[in-house]
Amino acid sequence: MAAGLVAAYTVVAARTVGFDPSTFWQVWSNPLWEKFWPIPWDWVLDRHNVLDPLVETFQIAIVSTLVGCGLALPVSFAMSPLTSPNPVVLVVTRSVMNVVRAVPDLFWAKLLVTAVGIGAFAGSWALSVFSLAVMVKLFSETIDGADPRPLEAARASGGRHVPAVRTGILPTVLPEYVAYGLYVFELNIRASVVLGLVGAGGIGRVVEAQRQYFRFDRVLGVLVLVFVVVFVIEQVSVAIRKRLV
Amino acid sequence: MIELRDVSVTYRGGVRALRHVDLRIDDGEFVVVVGLSGAGKSTLLRAINGLIPTSEGSITVNGVEVVGAGPAELRAVRSRIGMIFQTFNLVHRTTVVNNVLMGRLAGVPAWRSTLGLWPAEDREAAMVALERVGIVEKAFVRAADLSGGQQQRVGIARALAQEPSVMLADEPVAALDPVTSRQVMGDLQRINRDLGITTLVNLHYLDLAREFGRRLVGLREGEVVFDGDLADVTDETFREIYGRAITDDDLLAADG
Repeated sequence: MAAGLVAAYTVVAARTVGFDPSTFWQVWSNPLWEKFWPIPWDWVLDRHNVLDPLVETFQIAIVSTLVGCGLALPVSFAMSPLTSPNPVVLVVTRSVMNVVRAVPDLFWAKLLVTAVGIGAFAGSWALSVFSLAVMVKLFSETIDGADPRPLEAARASGGRHVPAVRTGILPTVLPEYVAYGLYVFELNIRASVVLGLVGAGGIGRVVEAQRQYFRFDRVLGVLVLVFVVVFVIEQVSVAIRKRLV
Repeated sequence: MIELRDVSVTYRGGVRALRHVDLRIDDGEFVVVVGLSGAGKSTLLRAINGLIPTSEGSITVNGVEVVGAGPAELRAVRSRIGMIFQTFNLVHRTTVVNNVLMGRLAGVPAWRSTLGLWPAEDREAAMVALERVGIVEKAFVRAADLSGGQQQRVGIARALAQEPSVMLADEPVAALDPVTSRQVMGDLQRINRDLGITTLVNLHYLDLAREFGRRLVGLREGEVVFDGDLADVTDETFREIYGRAITDDDLLAADG
């Protein structure tokens, strides 16, 4: 029944957007695809063309992960009912973070490029905000689920709020915090590729420039390199995260 | 001295956990509180250190009023009251000594404890507390790697690190086996005798109460229904407190 409804609606939706399976060959037989081959490795492996911007992407990701996750630590504690200092702080931080998260990372990048100009500087800011939003979501939920009993013990001994949370809750959730931080770093590497498309620095800028010159062979070469870098970073990150949690 | 005058605690939702409790505990006493689960034992202890707000009445600890106290006053009162929990309430993912240092929170500047820069004298006090419960060699072991009995000793050391004048123990042995239970109760008794710390222990097991307590307080549906010397307590007294016949579940010996 439900499956039938989904199928029927899919047909209606496809008609509305003009999607027709018979256009398949029209799309994929386009001469555009031939322009991707062969990859000009001499150009791709030249330092100035790809490697330098790739390093810039890496640096954007590092800086924004540290800034975003650093800010996320106190904000996450303020956002969890278990560790928030008071209900006003709880509601205010939750509302602000909901708004921040509602704005997509690419839009943040556009906003910041408009605000501070084209370049890696804008990209770092955009991804810092993005990291904060993602990290706060993941980490505050971990805090929600943490064992509250050591916190009761810290309060019973006459501890102030922040030291009580620091000693009673932080050690419990710290491994998850580091694991999420690594995960956010992975996201940032991938996101900073895209951010270049809107002028926020990094390897994406190269992809966008070569696309505009219709040098799709170079675009493919860059994407292959990016794939390798992202793959290696993910493998390392996953290996570390497995040990942590 | 702890003094409760006409204390009532009503939870949100209208459940009355304590009704008009009058209690006076002198310095250095060792008092065992018994009653069925839900009789108000935990509420009584948590009202004394202000973890649960009192609805009516007055509670003074060493002459300081707890009911209606501000945050700073409450922290000052709590710093002199050690608390021991049924489930130990340790942070499993850190070392034993870090857990014990939580007992020093009240006397250390917030920035120091937050950054983990504990003063040497507080680290020393934590080690002394661990020595007193005989597990100083476990100081740098993760709390999660200890047995239940060892974990409760860490809980006791954390309370001792406060250098308290009052110790509140909420069913400290309910999660332990009979042999370990006796050891932990023995620790509490020894600390009470050696250091003169006024001690209140909630217990379920009647034979354990008899073995270690001097004064018995019986709670039933939030009211004090017995308060007297354990030497005068008979099985009939327990029947009245529990409102039913004593079963094997009420005895540690039979349970083990």
